[in-house]
Amino acid sequence: MKLLIIEDEESLRDSMVSYFKGEGNICEIAVDYPSAIEKINLYHYDCILMDLTLPGGDGLQVLRELKKINRKEGVLIISARHSLDDKLNGLDLGADDYLVKPFHLSELKARVMAIVRRKNFSGNNILIFNEIRIDVMAMEVKINDKLLNLTKKEYDLLIYFISNQGKVITKNAIAEHLWGDEIDLSDDFDFIYTHIKNLRKKIVEAGAKDYIKSMYGVGYKLEQI
Amino acid sequence: MKLAQRYNRANLLTSSIILVITGVIYYIAIHFILTNKLDKDLVIEEKEIQAYVLNYGKLPSPGDFLHQKVAYVKLGNKKVNRNFFYDNYNRANEKESEPGRTLITSVIVNGQNYQVSISKSRAESEDLIRLIFFITLAVTILLLVSLLLINRFLLQSIWRPFYATLNTMKAFNLTAKTDIKAQQTNIEEFNELNIAVGSMADSVKKDYKELKTFTDNASHEMMTPLAVINSKLDLLLQGEALNPQQGELIDEIYNSVGRLGRLNHSLLLLAKIENKLIPEQETFNLKDLIVEKIKLFQELVNGKNITLTQNLLDKEIMMSKYLADILLNNLLSNAIRHNYNNGTITIDLNKTELIISNTSKDNTLDQAQAFERFYKTPSSEGMGLGLAMVKQIAGLHQFDITYTYQDKLHIFCLTF
Repeated sequence: MKLLIIEDEESLRDSMVSYFKGEGNICEIAVDYPSAIEKINLYHYDCILMDLTLPGGDGLQVLRELKKINRKEGVLIISARHSLDDKLNGLDLGADDYLVKPFHLSELKARVMAIVRRKNFSGNNILIFNEIRIDVMAMEVKINDKLLNLTKKEYDLLIYFISNQGKVITKNAIAEHLWGDEIDLSDDFDFIYTHIKNLRKKIVEAGAKDYIKSMYGVGYKLEQI
Repeated sequence: MKLAQRYNRANLLTSSIILVITGVIYYIAIHFILTNKLDKDLVIEEKEIQAYVLNYGKLPSPGDFLHQKVAYVKLGNKKVNRNFFYDNYNRANEKESEPGRTLITSVIVNGQNYQVSISKSRAESEDLIRLIFFITLAVTILLLVSLLLINRFLLQSIWRPFYATLNTMKAFNLTAKTDIKAQQTNIEEFNELNIAVGSMADSVKKDYKELKTFTDNASHEMMTPLAVINSKLDLLLQGEALNPQQGELIDEIYNSVGRLGRLNHSLLLLAKIENKLIPEQETFNLKDLIVEKIKLFQELVNGKNITLTQNLLDKEIMMSKYLADILLNNLLSNAIRHNYNNGTITIDLNKTELIISNTSKDNTLDQAQAFERFYKTPSSEGMGLGLAMVKQIAGLHQFDITYTYQDKLHIFCLTF
């Protein structure tokens, strides 16, 4: 994937770059409005990650520019503003998704992957991880060509893991991904343990390897064995 | 006591007292003047008698005229003191007596001492006093009545701008976008009042807006550092060879950062609801949304082995779906979070109300404070904003939310 990260906060930008790099991903950066405009006029990207408040201009203006030069890049807006107006404005102007700060990098990556998948969709939208094959359109999971029966949340969780393969995903990130960030679930994440246990069991019983493992009690990781 | 009433009372009371005192003084003065005049007339008469005696060496004949009587009595060796006094005046051919004034004096005619009494009727002067008294009384009553009317109508119209200003002040809403509109008046004081009130409202609004902007900006500015902390933690976790102790530490930092972020978002949302900056309302079936929420929370309910009973009827409702979402999230997550294992939750929805009741490890909440911001039971791990937000959302849509504790059940009732 080729990504453009438009973010003026250096620390945050670095974090994003360092989370995305590897796996053949290329990350370009823009630190303000003029450089963002320059980059989008010069190069093509799979997805643009953009902060709405930029030095030198409004992030929404970047969206308008993209529309003006008739580009079809996927755009994910990152904003400190939870404002619904921002959200609606951004989505009206052609942004594909909206992520509110603070966010988990795993959530960011899952959203970017979803956007890229949708944009690159060419007849078949299939996500493959070794013997696990997911038809995103039909929302079907097959292991060794055998249909796996998952609940909606187990399905979402599996996609979340595959989007972030090789990365540790925290329990908080999982809870927010499945239940939304507005729900205050307190710090009791026992139910996530049960949830993941069920998913692992189903996958293993269907004949796949046990790719998901618990990490330091903080979270879980799906990786190649 | 109303201003006009108070003013009227003072005004009328002083007016009456002053008028009564003036009346009394007036009466005494007129009485004194008239008596003085009578006495002078009596003295003139006395002098005429003395002049007659001197000229003719005899007494003038005693007379009984219409308004005057003269009588003589031989005194011999007795002496009489000259003095004036009031007595009754009997008219010749009338039985009734009138008030009179008499002068007793003495005169010597040819060595013989005579007592002379000259009497005059006071009837005319009494009539005069009575007339003056009635005129004064009439004027007094007229004056009081006109004062009363002036006070009533003039005061009312004069103070009208004041009451108008008072009403605008009462209706003043800090969060509303309307300005205070002053009523035009040609009374300087009220104009000044209007200007003062107007500028006060403006400055209060300005301060409030600045504070709001500040809070808003501060809350937003906090999000970026939080995002940085979160992302650095995410990266830290990817590193190799963390031990479980370090993992636990990171976990705790995550939880705190998460809470801080949610706290910030909640505060911003509360401010937004207060300022009525909310998305458009739409009509939808609340039952569908509740069913959706129950599905969302299913794993949590199952995790605690909670028995969830639902009696849901269709209910079309007009409200912001986004806020309805938050309202249900808060009520349901509370009902689950504060519940104990194998507890119960009951959700009833009908045309008029939504009732969510649940068992809990906590005893009754403080009824008065349950919906206050940052109120929470000691055992609660939440932020204490959930119910405050529920209350705000309910209030915004003119719904009523109540909390009761009955038969060990916490019952939240939302009345549409």
